[in-house]
Amino acid sequence: MQVPNSFKLALLKQMLLGFQLSAVSSNSMSFHERKNAIKLSADAAMVFARGSTRWTRGLVSSLSKNRNNDGLLRGILGKKYERLSLPCCNSWKIPRSRKILKRCLGLCSRRKKATGPQHDVESSRTLARRLAKKRIQVLKKLLPGGESMEGFSLLDQTLDYAVSLKAQVDIMRRLLKISKASNLNK
Amino acid sequence: MEPRGSSGVGSGNSGTYTPEIAESLRFEEEIQSLIDPSFDASSAAGGSFTALLGLPANQAVELLHHPGPGEPPASAATDTLRLPFGCSSTFVERAARFSVFATDDSPASSSGGGLSPGLKAEPPDSDSPPTLPAPAGKPRRPSKRKECEKSKAKAVAKKSKSAEENTSAAKPAAEENTSGDKLPYVHVRARRGQATDSHSLAERARREKINARMKLLQELVPGCSKITGTALVLDEIINHVQSLQRQVEFLSMKLAAVNPRIDFSGLDHILSAECGPLAVASGCGGGASDPAMWASDTAASTGGIRRMPAPPQIWHLDVVHPQQSSTVWENNGVAHPHFLLSPATSLVGYDPASSVPLNSNRLKTEL
Repeated sequence: MQVPNSFKLALLKQMLLGFQLSAVSSNSMSFHERKNAIKLSADAAMVFARGSTRWTRGLVSSLSKNRNNDGLLRGILGKKYERLSLPCCNSWKIPRSRKILKRCLGLCSRRKKATGPQHDVESSRTLARRLAKKRIQVLKKLLPGGESMEGFSLLDQTLDYAVSLKAQVDIMRRLLKISKASNLNK
Repeated sequence: MEPRGSSGVGSGNSGTYTPEIAESLRFEEEIQSLIDPSFDASSAAGGSFTALLGLPANQAVELLHHPGPGEPPASAATDTLRLPFGCSSTFVERAARFSVFATDDSPASSSGGGLSPGLKAEPPDSDSPPTLPAPAGKPRRPSKRKECEKSKAKAVAKKSKSAEENTSAAKPAAEENTSGDKLPYVHVRARRGQATDSHSLAERARREKINARMKLLQELVPGCSKITGTALVLDEIINHVQSLQRQVEFLSMKLAAVNPRIDFSGLDHILSAECGPLAVASGCGGGASDPAMWASDTAASTGGIRRMPAPPQIWHLDVVHPQQSSTVWENNGVAHPHFLLSPATSLVGYDPASSVPLNSNRLKTEL
């Protein structure tokens, strides 16, 4: 695995901190509240451990949209919260300008194709491109903050995100195993 | 993601059929543009064998697709072709039809005689894809026998990439350009008004970067390295990420179900001791263990910690809970010293952390 142990350690630490802060161990919460608190702690811990990347910032912004999460987020992320909530260099202008650019290019190419040679059979290359484009759109929706990313950065962040997710799953699994084992012992 | 598809074409994913089709479709346009402009007889008659291989394909495609206007040059082509070969028209047709021809010369030439005659009488093949890969494959493969194949491939890649950016104005320019070419491999010449070398280099570098990332992603996702084709790999990646996200949901649900009975505060305290100072909001869960018990265990535990057990050990949470009575320790702690492994390292990995033995003493006394 490509994840260093320090990452996993920090992840675990922050997750447990999050559990403490949200007091999941107390009986006062409903099942759903508890589950959401755990998930939030896990995500926030992942963000903390990873540091500042585009997907982490996207994740923080999507998590902080819910007002209830603020306290826990700040508790886990601490000082990093402010840094991570900053919009990264015109993050809203970039996708907008890209959309405009794409629209123009699309119009131009469509005009050219209308005058160019007609093919009954669609070029397989464009077909492959269309398929890949659909997949990329799906990927953008999957990835936190993926809407504003393009091409290489999208793939890069996907890789990063996938690796971090894997580590998160791993840590949670082990935690679960441990807690189950401790339950048995009691 | 414009160059994505073209990157697949340009970098030559030999595993898929689509690059061949793509190339061939590109090629077909250029061949059509070449019908009227000069057919260079000298280059057909002379030159290397591979040159002869290239030309028949050109002419064959012409013949297949434009039997009418293509006849005069076609007849000229076949005339000149009859010079080197005994059965040129059939040979040409065979050459056009079977892409294997290019790689294996002898069977093709021997089987040339057994073909149906009357190439011109043959109606244009409406089903373009099957025949097109043949001529596309042939000129490309003979080109590979040449020394300058890399530049050709690069130019071809450039062409295929810039295909959709072509304006109609560029086509006549291409005609002029390619018609002036004495070499038979006209299709590999770069078009005028297209990207200069610096641009293409940048594009190529970008494509390389993207391909490298794709490879890394393929390695990450299990079972993805055998898959060729960008869309399918992306499919797998999407499935993988989705499954990971779902697993997180599921695990958090399970943890929520398990959780009320677990006090994680003790765990957290141990981790803080392990990893350095941590501002824990709530203090450690009280409870003092028997110091004598700890002291006796310390010596045993330091030796135990240095031994890294191979199978993933579930360390007893008894270690964590300061509230646990000393009776539990007597049962479990002494018998299994290696369970006193730092919970952090056992949870996280099997790092032979050198600081662990040092911290263990501190851990014990704190608890």
